[in-house]
Amino acid sequence: MLNTQGLVTEGRRLVWRNQRVLWWLFAANLLLAAFGAEPLAVKLAGLTDHSVAAQRFTQGFDLTALAELLSQPGFGFGSYALSSLFCNVIFFAFTIFVTGGILESFRSSRRLTTAQFFEASGHYFWRWIRQMLLFLVVMAPVLGLGSAINSWSDTLSSDAAPEKLGFWVMLGGAVLTLLLAMIVRLWFDMAQVQIVATDQRSVVRSVGRAFKLTFSNFRALFFMYLRISLVGWTALLFGLWVWIRLIPATRFMLSFLVLELTLLTWLATRLWQRASETAWYRSYETANPPVAPVIMDAPLVYPLATSEPTETVLASEGARPAMPPEAEPQPS
Amino acid sequence: MSYSRAFAVSAVVVVTALIAVPSVSMHSAAAATPAKAVVSHSVAPAPNGIPDTISAINAAQPLSQRVVHYEMDARLDAKKKSLDATEVLTYRNLTGRPQDTFPFHLYLNAFQPKSTFVAEARRDREIDFDFDWEKKVASEEIKSIEVEGMGDLTKQIQFIAPDDGNVDDRTVFQIKLPRPVLPGEDVKFRISFHDQFGEVVARTGYKRDFLLGGQWFPKVGVWWKDAWNCHQFHDSTEFFADFGVFDVKLTVPQNEIVGASGIEVASTNNPDGTKTVQFHGDDIHDFAWTVQPDYRVFTDTFQSSMGPVTMRLLMQPGHADQAARHMKILRQSMQRFNDWYGPYPYKQITVVDPPHGGKEAGGMEYPTFITGDTDWWQPDGLHLVEAVVEHEFGHQYWYGMVATNEFEEAWMDEGINQYTEAKVMDDVLGQDRSMVDLWGVKAGEFGVDRIGYMSQPDRDPMTRFGYKFMNFGTYGTTSYFKTATVLHTLEKVVGQDTMRRALRTYFMKYRFTHPTGEDFLKTVEEVSGQNLRWYFEQAVNGTQVLDYEILKVNSERTDWFGKNLPDEKKGVTVYHTEVTVHRKGDFIFPVDVLVRFDNGETARERWDGRDRWIRYSYDKKAKALSAEIDSERAIGLDKDEFNNSYLSQGDETGRHKLVHYWIVLQQFAGQMLAWFA
Repeated sequence: MLNTQGLVTEGRRLVWRNQRVLWWLFAANLLLAAFGAEPLAVKLAGLTDHSVAAQRFTQGFDLTALAELLSQPGFGFGSYALSSLFCNVIFFAFTIFVTGGILESFRSSRRLTTAQFFEASGHYFWRWIRQMLLFLVVMAPVLGLGSAINSWSDTLSSDAAPEKLGFWVMLGGAVLTLLLAMIVRLWFDMAQVQIVATDQRSVVRSVGRAFKLTFSNFRALFFMYLRISLVGWTALLFGLWVWIRLIPATRFMLSFLVLELTLLTWLATRLWQRASETAWYRSYETANPPVAPVIMDAPLVYPLATSEPTETVLASEGARPAMPPEAEPQPS
Repeated sequence: MSYSRAFAVSAVVVVTALIAVPSVSMHSAAAATPAKAVVSHSVAPAPNGIPDTISAINAAQPLSQRVVHYEMDARLDAKKKSLDATEVLTYRNLTGRPQDTFPFHLYLNAFQPKSTFVAEARRDREIDFDFDWEKKVASEEIKSIEVEGMGDLTKQIQFIAPDDGNVDDRTVFQIKLPRPVLPGEDVKFRISFHDQFGEVVARTGYKRDFLLGGQWFPKVGVWWKDAWNCHQFHDSTEFFADFGVFDVKLTVPQNEIVGASGIEVASTNNPDGTKTVQFHGDDIHDFAWTVQPDYRVFTDTFQSSMGPVTMRLLMQPGHADQAARHMKILRQSMQRFNDWYGPYPYKQITVVDPPHGGKEAGGMEYPTFITGDTDWWQPDGLHLVEAVVEHEFGHQYWYGMVATNEFEEAWMDEGINQYTEAKVMDDVLGQDRSMVDLWGVKAGEFGVDRIGYMSQPDRDPMTRFGYKFMNFGTYGTTSYFKTATVLHTLEKVVGQDTMRRALRTYFMKYRFTHPTGEDFLKTVEEVSGQNLRWYFEQAVNGTQVLDYEILKVNSERTDWFGKNLPDEKKGVTVYHTEVTVHRKGDFIFPVDVLVRFDNGETARERWDGRDRWIRYSYDKKAKALSAEIDSERAIGLDKDEFNNSYLSQGDETGRHKLVHYWIVLQQFAGQMLAWFA
């Protein structure tokens, strides 16, 4: 099996090879956010485009000017936030949908056509919905723990003698919650990888198997996941630092570009995790090939008195949808 | 006080009476028959019960008409957070008429379930008021009350509720004396009382081993506008009391560090492990104190124009690294107040830093004693430390020395102080960044005041009694932020220098007295030489909202009707420009309108703002580029700055910036949500 470094590298290679997935996803992310922001843009146009007061945003950033704008009677910022939230939900649904295609892309040794990509996406979609519900059930106590620790830290901030104790408890709780959440996410990621690898229909069975798989190989998997996460957080912090410290407030398009690059990197690290997980599973499969019963698909013909060997067909568990002949993957 | 004693000191008292007691007339040595009195009833001999001490002030003589002398001896039980005390209150009757009924405040009784304070707090905050009864109940119980020469009157105590009739509210009691106290006479109350402090709420109480004693003693009401003024303690009111002298002894465990109003005059260790610390205050109207064993004490000296002032900081150990920051803004505030408005006459100012969890004791003022508000993380670009210390110091002037009625005219201390806070902070830290200058984001004090005002501009007039505002929120936005914005806008009318002179005149004239709002407004008019009633009626007494807008700017070629028109040419084609200005709000205010043309010309118009709209027309070989109301942004009361201008050629930069940042934020939110997929 590949070591952790090898898996991380392999994952990066897979993302690079399938980078169109990243661009599609990023484009969807950007377009949906822009679409959700459109009503706000229209409203702001009437308020700021012909007003000298808008210079308070462009010459630096005056917080009181923003507060004044948001408090305009009839502005109703809540409705614009809802519009954006709606678009975020669409992006969420889109991400669920394309996860199957993404994992299939990473798994396949051949580049998928667009049709194959979306066919794979659709094939697994409802399994992801069922799995997501299980994921939320498992995450609920993790989030509950985080909430409880946060509440406790509030009390400590007020009542404990050391003033910073509440802060450290909050920070520790946040780190613990994050780690637990990452572990659960890794577990369910592996369940998804396994579903795609084996075309497993039973989500519960897949989640159970992934549990065993993940925790019996926890160290390798988790540190692979964590390393890539650290890259993502580092990129995020670096991007914010560049934005705040290096770019003048008047150069907002440059700011926007920097922030978009940061978001692209953030998204890429998520795909990188998926790719590395897929690479790990492939490596695992190679080291532990599945033992499956011999299944007779069709009557075998035993020619009489022949010395030529006959072929025995081995079938894997489950059944993948048949690819139409014209859709056979082409060598890259 | 007996007549014979009065004769023995009459020579001294005559001079004092001529200066400070206009309603008192003189008695002859024989005094068999009362001398002719200024008033129609007999008058007692000139008293000597209130000392003329000046040890706590940098002055050669008393600064106020001293009505009260509080001598208190209090013993703190640090474990039980309770206190037993005796109070000898000498009250000088300067009301001009005999008085046989005296009301007293017992503020600590507000922290009980059925009090008016709690009822209002629960109502206005629209949530269950966080009142953990086991910890936060407090009380102030009178054990006995005697009046010198009149005996024990404990059974005469009668609780009253002059504001809302709440029979369960025990924050005011009155006592009727068997015989009246004559004008000019002193009366001495000996009161024994017991305080039980609760966990800190609304400025007073304890948190762990910190304790702040505010409003902790029975305090006599004020004779105000020919009647006793002694309001119940409300959620949205503060305090009102007479000037006098305070001599307070606090007996506390020896390990406690003590801070208080006035100056420390003695500290004696007692054999039982306690110590008695004695404080003295001159020409102050309240007394607060604090104890905590592990305060970090920092001192420095400020040279005011009346003499040296000790600046004493009591910091939490975890905030000791912020002492320099506190001291710096205190000094800067003191210097500006000294230069702009008048001198700080007391010999000391004490600043207390409450602990985490005790924030309700923070951001408060008492004469010569203030509390700050900070925590362990306060980046330099966030100027909250500076704002609080400056604000509470400012109250030494607006409330401490100019002792307005905080119950009835909260705007006079909070609002004027909020205005001067912005002036000082802008001068110290820079306009437009005096509140926040962090990570590229900035905010100025006046901007913050405007936002506060704009949140509820038309609910209550400034002149409403503090406890009669619609709710706690409107009390805050109106008393603080609307008043500050009103005064800032008033600068536009009278000028910045005149405004400063007016405040200085007001301070110097009314310090150590109880002026009314009308006194302040008249002072501004006198100093400015203008009749400002049109402004005050709307801004101070009314709830009109000020909002002017540029409704339309249009430039059209004058030869539009011709056939085969030549192409438009800059500097050649003649345009007819119309600028329409509209008064959206009900507040009438004169405005300047600045019109800019594309040939560099400008036209400045002045409109009285009375009608609902006005139109300006121009025929020029130039198009209008923009029209702007109040280009200097001096009319803070204008509710909407975004409609004050119109650019003919729009500039989308501001919108694009906001929208693009919003898009980035939503992209990130979307990706975070997708993590659950």
